[in-house]
Amino acid sequence: MNEIVFTAVFGVFLLFSGLFIRSKNAIRFIAITGMGLAFLVNGWEYFHPGNDWPGGMIHADHVSILFNAIALGCTLVYFLLSGKDFEQLGEHLAEYFALVYFILCGVGIASSFTSLLMLFLAIEIISIPQYILAGSQKSNLKSNEASLKYFLMGAFSTGFLLMGIALLYGSTGTFHIGEMNLGGSGIDPLVLTGILFLIVGLTFKVGGAPFHFWTPDVYDGAPSVVTSFMATVVKAAGFIAFLRLFSIAFSADNITAHWTLVIALIAAATLLVGNFTAVFQVSVKRMLAYSSISQAGFMILALVGLGTLAWDGILLYAAAYSLATIGAFAVLIRMEDYTYEGYRGLGKKQPLVALANTVFLLSLTGIPATAGFMAKYFVLSSALQRGGMLWLVILALCCAAVSAYYYFRLIWAMYFQEGEPAILPDRITPAFKGLLIFTALLVVAIGVYPGLVLNWLP
Amino acid sequence: MPISNYIFLSLALFCIGVMGVLIRRNAIIIFMCIELMLNAVNLMLVAFSKFHHDASAQVFVFFIMVVAAAEVSVGLAIIVMVYRQLHSVDVGVMNRLKH
Amino acid sequence: MLLHSYVLEAGTTPISYFPIVLQLIMALVFVGGVMIATHLLGPKRKGSDKLENFECGIQSQGNARQPMAINYFLTAILFVLFDVEVIFFYPYAVNFKILGWAGFWEMVLFVAFFFAGFFYIIRKGALNWRD
Repeated sequence: MNEIVFTAVFGVFLLFSGLFIRSKNAIRFIAITGMGLAFLVNGWEYFHPGNDWPGGMIHADHVSILFNAIALGCTLVYFLLSGKDFEQLGEHLAEYFALVYFILCGVGIASSFTSLLMLFLAIEIISIPQYILAGSQKSNLKSNEASLKYFLMGAFSTGFLLMGIALLYGSTGTFHIGEMNLGGSGIDPLVLTGILFLIVGLTFKVGGAPFHFWTPDVYDGAPSVVTSFMATVVKAAGFIAFLRLFSIAFSADNITAHWTLVIALIAAATLLVGNFTAVFQVSVKRMLAYSSISQAGFMILALVGLGTLAWDGILLYAAAYSLATIGAFAVLIRMEDYTYEGYRGLGKKQPLVALANTVFLLSLTGIPATAGFMAKYFVLSSALQRGGMLWLVILALCCAAVSAYYYFRLIWAMYFQEGEPAILPDRITPAFKGLLIFTALLVVAIGVYPGLVLNWLP
Repeated sequence: MPISNYIFLSLALFCIGVMGVLIRRNAIIIFMCIELMLNAVNLMLVAFSKFHHDASAQVFVFFIMVVAAAEVSVGLAIIVMVYRQLHSVDVGVMNRLKH
Repeated sequence: MLLHSYVLEAGTTPISYFPIVLQLIMALVFVGGVMIATHLLGPKRKGSDKLENFECGIQSQGNARQPMAINYFLTAILFVLFDVEVIFFYPYAVNFKILGWAGFWEMVLFVAFFFAGFFYIIRKGALNWRD
């Protein structure tokens, strides 16, 4: 709850400081400091649990606070790595940072809601600033188009989400996810329809197949700085909300029997579509967009599992995937040419940057000793716990093998192909290199010792 | 009146909205259809609120309205921005992202 | 929740919709009646001037469907936002006695955020008509 209040108020504060402060460096400094403060304020709540929100609509337990810490930490890394690139979006620098703060406020609600009203508000608070950020380059047609598409699709999926909530309310008479008592003998058809609508709405939001079609277009069209955030922290928050809702409200045995197969099929479709389309991309940015779909497929596996292992897996996945993708995008933003050819010879020209990028790509593939491996391991074992899901786990492993192809193609281009990398050398500062290496080390550290994240769970 | 009538009415409105979104090509019309979907939900929530003698759904409706207004303002701004660039709000014209 | 459920306890028999039907009939009768009355009572002239668009007496020029200044859109969008936010006053207006001073201070906080937004808009120059 501290995180929600702090980010909201600090976002407003940033808006106003944008009115009075002209210096871009000062605004960036304020934004980064605020993110550090938010991390501390959120951590403080871990040790001193505060009061719940009046009305009992929000309850921040240790899992929520841990996820908030991951989200805030990743955003801090993101601000430090790519904060300078916000200046390319347009002239309203403070507003862009403020919108990120508002998104994080929504993330805080998404990780700790106990009422469907708060779920709805969280998803909207996360989405609406993203529509603006996606279209922030006003004279760039691709950015405009991405923004409009994202907006129309996002609002459309909100309709489904709301219909699901309304049907569930119609059957149970409450919005409180802990008080629905769906485990009784007879199951109301309204409940099943409602769950189906909720699955459709939430799958839209997290970009799972068959509702993924907006994802590559929007991620490709939006400015790279924005995509980097949309594809990571925001996506992870969507999954946390998804898992929280399903593990609290719909986990009774006679209810899971109805939706597990649907979710498993969605996971399988997402994995197949994401991986096999990513193989054919020529642009690295678009490849990363499809790879984010395939990673979403792995995160849906945690929903199939629904246990403590699933929570371990999704939290690790959030950290591993967000850090690696933010790092990979930070390198991408500094390229002039977004195709694989642009990366040729990067290993010789910028060895440290190429090394860090390699670590990120290995982590996304799921090579042992990186965070991605541990995350995939926990997610897959949580899915295995649920009987009859062996086929899905085998499919996921095959897809991980396919994903190695397109990630390794980039590593191949960086190290083994001759050429002049299309990188902007004046934007590779020593500080940037240091941070990139630090992020890569963090990815390796979580991979070697996942307790770094998981020991904080009760 | 039985509650099922309200459910049928709002589901019918919802389906009209969904079909509109899927069929129409004008961004503004699509947006109006989305609003229709949201209002179908509002109607259903109010009917259920009466049915359960519980006012929390009515408060939910207020929140939906306010969030929809926020979406309208952002969405119209985006549509105006696109119109100034392309001089059209036809979603079929937008194909720069398809490779 | 905020609203107490007794607000909803009115009956739902078909007869309770009678006032609405009555109002509907009244509205139709009035509108129809006035239209017929003006048609019958008013003087009639025919000619080319009659078919012209009427714009406060000045000769009309050009097409009305031409690009407008963006300020109109901005003002309209801001109006929608501020207009709908006021919806939260309704539950408070119904329950302000029950909610007491705690509710009052919460509304003050709400209005303060409201004014913060308004102040931001003005400082940002969104309401300036000339650049």
